[in-house]
Amino acid sequence: MASVTAAEAAAAEWEEAARKVLVARKPCFGLPTACPTCLPVYVYLRMAQVPFDIDVDTSFPDADHIPYVEFGDCVAFNNEKGGVIEYLKEDKILNLNSKHPSASSPDVLSTKAMVSTWLADALQYELWVVSDGSIAHDIYFSDLSWPIGKILHWKKARDVKQLLGITKLNAAEREEEIYQRASAAYDALSLRLGDQTYLFDNSPTDVDALFLGHALFVLNALPDTSVLRGTLQKHDNLVNFAEHHKAQLLESSSSGLGSSSDPSMSSNPRKKASAGRSYKPKPRAKKERTEEEKTFRRRAKYFLATQLVAVLVFLSLLGGVDSSELEDDDGIDYED
Amino acid sequence: MASAADPAADQNPRDAEPRKPTNEVEAEAEVAEEEYEEDDYEEEDEEDEQLDGPAASAAEQEKIRAVFQRLSSEQVGIRVHDVVIKGNSKTRDELIEAEVLDLLRAAPTVQDLLRAASVATARLRQLDVFDAVKITLDAGPPELPGTTNVVIEVVEAANPVTGTAGVYSKPEARSWSLEGSLKFKNLFGYGDIWDASGAYGWDQTTEVGVGVSLPRFKSIPTPLMAWASLSSQDWLKFSSYKERLLGLSFGLLSTVNHDLSYNLTWRMLTDPSRAASTSIRRQLGHNLLSALKYTYKIDERDSYLRPTKGYAFQSSSQVGGLWDSKGLKFFRQEFDVRGAVPLGFFNSALNVGLGAGVILPLAKGFMNSSSPVPDRFYLGGHSSPVCSLSGLSSLLGFRTRGIGPTESRRLIPSESDGDSSAAPGRDYLGGDLAVSAFADLSFDLPLKLFRDAGIHGHAFLTAGNLVKLSEGEYKKFSFPEFRSTFRSTAGVGIILPTKLFRVEAASSVALPALPPVAAWCRSVIHSGRKAEGPKRKPNHNKRSRKAGNGDRSRTICLAVPQRDDEENHIDHA
Repeated sequence: MASVTAAEAAAAEWEEAARKVLVARKPCFGLPTACPTCLPVYVYLRMAQVPFDIDVDTSFPDADHIPYVEFGDCVAFNNEKGGVIEYLKEDKILNLNSKHPSASSPDVLSTKAMVSTWLADALQYELWVVSDGSIAHDIYFSDLSWPIGKILHWKKARDVKQLLGITKLNAAEREEEIYQRASAAYDALSLRLGDQTYLFDNSPTDVDALFLGHALFVLNALPDTSVLRGTLQKHDNLVNFAEHHKAQLLESSSSGLGSSSDPSMSSNPRKKASAGRSYKPKPRAKKERTEEEKTFRRRAKYFLATQLVAVLVFLSLLGGVDSSELEDDDGIDYED
Repeated sequence: MASAADPAADQNPRDAEPRKPTNEVEAEAEVAEEEYEEDDYEEEDEEDEQLDGPAASAAEQEKIRAVFQRLSSEQVGIRVHDVVIKGNSKTRDELIEAEVLDLLRAAPTVQDLLRAASVATARLRQLDVFDAVKITLDAGPPELPGTTNVVIEVVEAANPVTGTAGVYSKPEARSWSLEGSLKFKNLFGYGDIWDASGAYGWDQTTEVGVGVSLPRFKSIPTPLMAWASLSSQDWLKFSSYKERLLGLSFGLLSTVNHDLSYNLTWRMLTDPSRAASTSIRRQLGHNLLSALKYTYKIDERDSYLRPTKGYAFQSSSQVGGLWDSKGLKFFRQEFDVRGAVPLGFFNSALNVGLGAGVILPLAKGFMNSSSPVPDRFYLGGHSSPVCSLSGLSSLLGFRTRGIGPTESRRLIPSESDGDSSAAPGRDYLGGDLAVSAFADLSFDLPLKLFRDAGIHGHAFLTAGNLVKLSEGEYKKFSFPEFRSTFRSTAGVGIILPTKLFRVEAASSVALPALPPVAAWCRSVIHSGRKAEGPKRKPNHNKRSRKAGNGDRSRTICLAVPQRDDEENHIDHA
C-alpha cells in the first residue's frame, strides 16, 4: 500500500485532467485578461506551454480566490498556499524554476519579493487611487449593475489606501515613496535583465511571469500620463522585454488554443479602453486647498443641519396644529 | 344625554300634522334610531323628556314596539347627513373618512346603515392603530327629517410602541431563530406603522430590517409597504454557498387575493469553505435582483391546521431583470393547488395537493444560460405540505434540498493510503422544473382520550421531482424519464397539537423503483401558530407577517438522519 502525499495526488490529478481551465477576469486593453493579479498566472501557464482554456468571471470583482485553475475535480485558488503559481510549483506540478538549477535562489527570491511588493504596490496605487476610475471600471465593474459597481469600487479604493498606509496627511509623502521604490525596482530589473531574453540566465522563471504581467499592464492599460508608465518607458530593455514576450506568448495563443469562454458568462471580446480614459493626477497643491475645503465643508454641514432642524420643527408644529382643530360642522353638541 | 335639539326633533314630526305617511315613517325611524339597540352599537337614549307619568312611558314603549316591528318588517329609509369623527388627536381625519365614509353614505336604509357601521368598525380596528372604535348613530339636524349623524369615536393607542419577541424556526434552514420586533404605530397620523425587526438564527442566519406600512396613500385604496432589510443565510452544508442579501421591497398592491410587490436586492454569494462544486463556483459573486412578484391566492379551506373541507389555490409569478440589462433576468412561475375532502368516518379527511414550478432565464441566448442558484426550486425538508400553501419546498422523508441534481464538490488531494480517500461531499443544485404532489389522510384515533386532546393520526404519500432545463439541458428532457425518476415516500404519523406547537411523529419509507433502502424514523414538530410564508426572502414575508395570515408552518426537526436522494446523483460535466 503505497502512501501518496498530497502533492503527488495533486500532480496525478493534473496529469489526468482532460481539461485545465483558468478562471480570470475579462480581457481588455488588448490583453487576454486585464486584471493585474490574473495576468501573471496566465503568462506563467503560457510560458510553461500548458494548454488551457479561459473562463471569464464577471460577477465577483472583489474575490480573493480569483484567478484560479481547475484541473479535474481539483482547484488551485489564488488565496491558498500563496497563490496559483506557488501552488503549482510546490506540488511540483509546474515548476519553471526547476529547469535551471544554476539560478541562485536568493537572487530569484529577492527579485520576486521586489516585484511582488514594490512594483505591485505602485500598480495598485495608480489603478485605484490616482486614476479616475474608468480603467478599474472597465476591467472589474463593467458587467455589474451600476449601484453595486460604484459601491464595490469605493470599497476597494478605500482598502487599497488603507493597505498602502495612505492618509490625508501623508498622501504626498507616500506617493513620492511609492514612485521612488518603483523607479529603483525598475533600475534593478533593467540591470538584471541586460540583453538577455529572460531575467535569469535565458531561462524562464516565475519572476519573469510576475514581472511580465506587471509590465504588460503598465504599458497597455495605464494611460500615457501615468507616472509609472513613464518611469518604465525610460528603460528600453524592459519595454523590449515586454513587447517581445507579448508578441510571442499572447499572439500565438490566438492561433493555438483560443480562449474559449463559457457561454454562460458574458464574455466581451478584447476591446480597447473606453473613451473616457481621462487620468487626473491629484494636484500637489492639495494641501493648500485643504483649509478652504475644510471651512467650506464645515459651513455646509451647519447649513444642512439647520435645514433638517427647521423641517422637523415645521412637521411637529404642523402636527400639533392639526390635532387642535375640532370638527364640529353643524355645531350641535351631543355630549352631556 | 340631554340635548336641546332633541325635544324639537321629537316635536317637529309630531306637531306637523299634514304629513305624508313617508315623512311620518321617517320621523318614526328617526326616533327609532335613537332608541334602537343592537350588538356593539350604542344608540343614544331618548332624552328623559318631561312626560307625565306611566301613561307617557307606556306610549313610549308602544312607539318603540311599533318601530321595531316596522324595522323588522320593511326597509326604513335613512340618509346620512354628516359623519363626525371624535377622539383622533393624531390621526388624520382623511384617513378615517377614506376608510369608512363611502360605506356609510351609501347605505339607503337603517338596516343597511347598521350593517355598514359594523363593517366600518371592523375596518377601523384592522388599521391596528386604535385601541377602541365606537360608531354611534345620532339624530340628524331638526330641520332635516329622515337624516342621521354618524359619530365615530376612536381611542388612539395610548402607547404607540409595541414590541414582540419570540423564538421560531425556519423550515428550510433547519434551525431555531430568535426574532424581535419593535413597532411604532401612527407616528405621522396616517395610520402608518413603522416596524423594525431583527432575527438571529442559530446557524448564523441573521436578518435585520426596517419598514413602514401605510393603509392608504392618497387615492390608492390598498395598503402600501416598504421594507429595507439586510439578511444572510447559510447554505454551506447543502450547496456550499452563503447568501447575503441587502434589499428594498415595496408592496404595491395587497388585497385578500392579490399581492404585487417589487424587490430590489443586492445579492452576494460567497463560499468561505472553498469547497464548492464547479457550477456553484461559477455562480458566486454579486448580483442585482430587481423583480416584480405577483401572487394570487384563494384559500377556502375550513381550517389551517387540519383542513377537512375546501380548496386552496396559489399562483406566484416573478419577473426579474427590471433594473438594467446587467441584473439577473429570469421568469419564475409556481402553482399550488390543494383540496380537502371529508370522508365521514373517524372525522377523517383526505387532503391532496399538487404543486409545479418552472424558472427560465431571460437573457439573450437564454437557451444556454444558467438560472440563478438561489432562485431555483429545491425539494426536501419537513414542513408539512398540508398546512403551508407554498408546497414546492417540502417533501416529507427527504432532507432539506435532498432531491434533484447534485454535483461533486471540490476534491482536495490529501494524503491517502492505497486507494482509500475521503470522497468530497455533493452540492445540491436544485432544479429549473419542479413538480410535487401529496395525498394525506388524517383521521381521529380510536381512543376517546386522544380525540379529546385533538391528537390525530395521518397517513401520507408524497412524490416529487426536479430537473434542470437551463444551459441547454432542455433538449435532453423527456417526459417518460422525468416520470420514471420521481422520488416518492409514504408514511404514517401522529400529530399532537399542543397549545404552542403542533408536534408530529412520523415514519416514512421511500418508494423507489429499486429495492427500498431503509425506513427511517423521524420526529417532526410542526408549530401551528399563526404563520407566515417561508422566510427565504425577507420582502414578501414581512408583509404576510403584518397581515396576520400566511402559510409558514414552523417546523422544528428533532433528531435524526434523513434520507438523501442517493439514487439521483447526476454529475454535471
